[in-house]
Amino acid sequence: MEGNMILLLPVVLPVLAGITILTGKNLRKNRRMLLGVFFFGLTGGAFFTALALGGEYHLHLWQLTEYVGIDFQIDGVARLFAALTAVVWLLVGIYSVTYMTHEEDESRFFGFYLIVLGVLMGLDFSGNLITFYVFYELITLTSLPLVLHERSREAVAAGLKYLFYSIAGAFLALFGIFFFASVWGDLTFVPGGAEAVDLAGREGIFLAAVFCMVLGFGTKAGMFPLHGWLPTAHPVAPAPASAVLSGVITKSGVLALIRVVFFIAGPERLRGTWVQQGWIFLTLLTVFMGSMLAYREPVMKKRLAYSTVSQVSYVLFGLSLLEPTAFVGALSHVVFHSLAKNALFLAAGAVIFQTGWTRVDEMRGLGRVMPVMLGCYTAASLSLVGIPPASGFVSKWYLAQGALASGCGAWSWAGPVILLISALLTAGYLLPLTIDGFFPGADFDGGELKERELLGREPSWQMLAPVLVLAVAAVLFGCFPGPLLGMLQRIAEAVL
Amino acid sequence: MTLVQNFPFFSIILAMFSGILSSVLSGKQARNLSLAALVATMVMSAAVLAYCLGAGESYTYMMGHFPAPWGNEIRAGVLEGLTALLFSMIMLLSVAGGMRYTFEDVEASKVNLFFIMIDLMLSSLLALIYTNDLFTAYVFVEINTIAGCGLIMIRQKGRSFSAAIRYMIMSQLGSGLFLIGLTLLYDVTGHLLMSPAKAAVAAIEAAGSYEIPMLVILAVISVGLAIKSGLYPFHSWIPYTYGYATPTASAILSGLVSKGYIFLLIKIFYRVLGQENVIASRMVNVLFLFGLAGMIMGSVHAIMETDTRRMIAYSSVAQIGYIYMGIGLGTENGMIAAVFHMFTHSATKALLFISAVGLYEVSGEKKDFRSLRGAGYRNHLAGIGFTVGALSMVGFPMLSGFISKLLFATAALQTPHKMMLTLIGLAVSTVLNAIYFLRLVITLYGRGEASQLRAQGTEEGLFGTGEASREAFSGRKSAPTVFGGAIICFILLNLFLGLMSQPVVRAIAAGLAMFD
Amino acid sequence: MASHLLYNIEETVAMILFGIGFTMLLLHRNLIKKIMGMNVMDTAVYLFLAAKGYIQGRMVPIVTDGIQEASAYMNPVPSGLVLTGIVVSVSTTALMLALTIRLYERYHSLDLDEIFMQVKKEERS
Repeated sequence: MEGNMILLLPVVLPVLAGITILTGKNLRKNRRMLLGVFFFGLTGGAFFTALALGGEYHLHLWQLTEYVGIDFQIDGVARLFAALTAVVWLLVGIYSVTYMTHEEDESRFFGFYLIVLGVLMGLDFSGNLITFYVFYELITLTSLPLVLHERSREAVAAGLKYLFYSIAGAFLALFGIFFFASVWGDLTFVPGGAEAVDLAGREGIFLAAVFCMVLGFGTKAGMFPLHGWLPTAHPVAPAPASAVLSGVITKSGVLALIRVVFFIAGPERLRGTWVQQGWIFLTLLTVFMGSMLAYREPVMKKRLAYSTVSQVSYVLFGLSLLEPTAFVGALSHVVFHSLAKNALFLAAGAVIFQTGWTRVDEMRGLGRVMPVMLGCYTAASLSLVGIPPASGFVSKWYLAQGALASGCGAWSWAGPVILLISALLTAGYLLPLTIDGFFPGADFDGGELKERELLGREPSWQMLAPVLVLAVAAVLFGCFPGPLLGMLQRIAEAVL
Repeated sequence: MTLVQNFPFFSIILAMFSGILSSVLSGKQARNLSLAALVATMVMSAAVLAYCLGAGESYTYMMGHFPAPWGNEIRAGVLEGLTALLFSMIMLLSVAGGMRYTFEDVEASKVNLFFIMIDLMLSSLLALIYTNDLFTAYVFVEINTIAGCGLIMIRQKGRSFSAAIRYMIMSQLGSGLFLIGLTLLYDVTGHLLMSPAKAAVAAIEAAGSYEIPMLVILAVISVGLAIKSGLYPFHSWIPYTYGYATPTASAILSGLVSKGYIFLLIKIFYRVLGQENVIASRMVNVLFLFGLAGMIMGSVHAIMETDTRRMIAYSSVAQIGYIYMGIGLGTENGMIAAVFHMFTHSATKALLFISAVGLYEVSGEKKDFRSLRGAGYRNHLAGIGFTVGALSMVGFPMLSGFISKLLFATAALQTPHKMMLTLIGLAVSTVLNAIYFLRLVITLYGRGEASQLRAQGTEEGLFGTGEASREAFSGRKSAPTVFGGAIICFILLNLFLGLMSQPVVRAIAAGLAMFD
Repeated sequence: MASHLLYNIEETVAMILFGIGFTMLLLHRNLIKKIMGMNVMDTAVYLFLAAKGYIQGRMVPIVTDGIQEASAYMNPVPSGLVLTGIVVSVSTTALMLALTIRLYERYHSLDLDEIFMQVKKEERS
């Protein structure tokens, strides 16, 4: 064991707090203490993450096999993902305190919620592919109880689906890891990929391995063809869980592909190959298909889940172009989508919490029930659609610019076109709620609302504040994207 | 000669004599004696391992007064020490973990017989590991079979007798083939000790004579031991025997006994027939294909099974397939992976059997796995133990199963013509494993009859039956702690193999190198 | 080829017997016949071993009147092996027979298929 132990704290502290919550018998009875431990884990995790992100730390825990050890390190990508995770986790954590009062077994939810945070931190800090894979699998396992939370037949079926897709995906990826372990030997993440490896005579299997990893890790990111679990699993979880599942955990698939393509395989080796072509095709297909399915979906949380399928593939599209501008666009979209999607899911959760409505067509006149929440929803929607000055516009602009500059033949212009169509569809499935909510039309008398005394039932500040922060951040990042983009550009320069 | 060098012989003879002594002891005394023998064996094996690692070479130990080509010998090296250490450790944990159920399942007057079988089993396993003489190996194979048969039928139920007869028949077929292989080998080489026999085999191979007899010998010995270790398609007896025995017996039979035969086979390959000859004869390809078939078919059978214990037993068929596939790769790394998987599987399968019984106990002893719904909440440790074991079998990182798969796959990537088959086999079998194991784990933590059953349990004395029999054997109030301790030790062992595999893999490599 | 077989008549017979025993043990449904098959199989091995140990024209290695050259005696090891083997096979036979008795007492049949069927029935009830 050598290096700076501070890297271990953001991983271990939330996990320990989570285990305390899961095992402590007294905590289940004493809600105040439960919440105390919960926030101790959350803020402690966030605090030590902030500390750890400050420096260029490296930590070697132990050797796993002859060639690979458990390594942690901090680099630009790790900083981006870890900071995002910590912030979102804290906000959603605050929200969930109120929300979970209407679900059973809240201590189990809080426990696993914290454990997933720790594991995600471990994932973000991983210094080599094996360490990464270990945490990647752990995420599947520890986030499963979040999906299974209701333990209804439907939830169990969704959980199983999630598990099997994840395992199938992880195994596809594992094939690639085996290949790299035997050819590369050293699986440490190096910006731009290892240079000295001689691939002579093994190009075919190299490309096959990379493609398997793209498909496999793409599972978590909801990329076609292994996207089927996402619209099933995300909506059955409690709203805070679906928010982080959709907003943050799907990004672990993105992080996996960034690590594999830009830090192990090397973008230069992939440029212009069938793997890149196939990858671009799959992402564009997913972007379009996700939007279409979301457009046709009446259940709010399911619609948002389909939207995630589409939006995360924007990110993957940006990565697959292997081009610096698109790379910046992709990473910024990671941030923007995460903020906006969390806000949307939390808003949907607030609607369920206050009114019990799950379908979009039930939500007419929502503006009279919770105007501020619907305002936040609208801001986040605008950001996701990409209407300037909201943040989605910036990332999509970079993506389109990158696509046009990438020189990938037909994809260079097909990409932006599909992005545009998908943005229209996004507007088509997100904004009608705003319109119906604020302007229900002349024939809407609000009878049901009066009957159930729902008028002006804004949720409590604990639920509102996190959504407000997320939504405002999603807009503000669009107005002042400079510092973020500057940081992303430095990352892009290092890897491309 | 230092004292440590005597330890292999001491441990064999100690186990054997405690078995003989147990016949006049009471059940409890026999238990204590057998536990003491297991602990002593563990310590001695560790000492042997440390000695061999320190000396960096193996040694032979003369039995009786006749030197090498005539007398009988014991041989100890790093791999022997390591295997003996792990085997005795796993056996100790299995005996401890299943202790309470042993006393419940076995008639009070016959408990000491059970421990005689355990002692004999230990003694024969150690002898199989250490012996340097082929005929001694045969004799101990038979002792092992008899002890195994005793362990199966000690429950005295109809199905345990029928399971025992199945086991005996298949075992006798295997031993018969093994024996005829030995006699043929003796006929050709004129030696029964491994080292001189190897020299003779090398001379024969160099001369190019006896080509067909050598092939027959190789085939007969391999098939014989493959039958005994339950390689697909000779697996039909496995679900019956493992599924119906008392938990300790299931854990030992599936975890250790089959591995003892595989260890013997590996030893014969390296120390008698010569690994390069085995590879040249293409026999490895046959083993490879059977192994692959076992990996897939075992899992398919397990998926179709609803009885948990039989499911775990069929999973053994798949895991044995993995081991033979590793041997079949015909490379050093493949062999290392196979040996490592042997340890993985021993540790994990024993854990699964022991924790499964803990789960059954709180679910009304029904066979269908669906009756286990929510059992993980009723017996926490058993639930966690089962989950860890299942995840390890699926190949979850941080657990030993993952390292096995990593080793298998890396070994496969170095053998180009078998690479694709191995990788596809691994992938398919893992997905199949995941299907039935994770289905089980989710059932354990599912909602459903859990709360009802708990209510019933307190009212109708569903737990009372266990409680009553527990009290019938007074003085064993600590039994649940022993069970928990065994489960925790198993989990730690799994984590150790998964996280700190490096020294183990190195030791295996060093041990295999010493075999030549 | 045929003359080879005839010349090594003991070995040939041993192999045939082994095949017969093996097949009986594997395929016969009757338990007693299975056990007989097992014994035939083992005996075949002993015959083979004994045939290997005997060298025509040499003496039994029992020394009564001074030691002659080693080449004067036949190989005693196989005889020892046969003895050991007999002990082993006797014990396994005894165990199998004991099991058979238990099964017969319980199911009143020696037919293995019949027994397994009854076991299955017993489990279902």
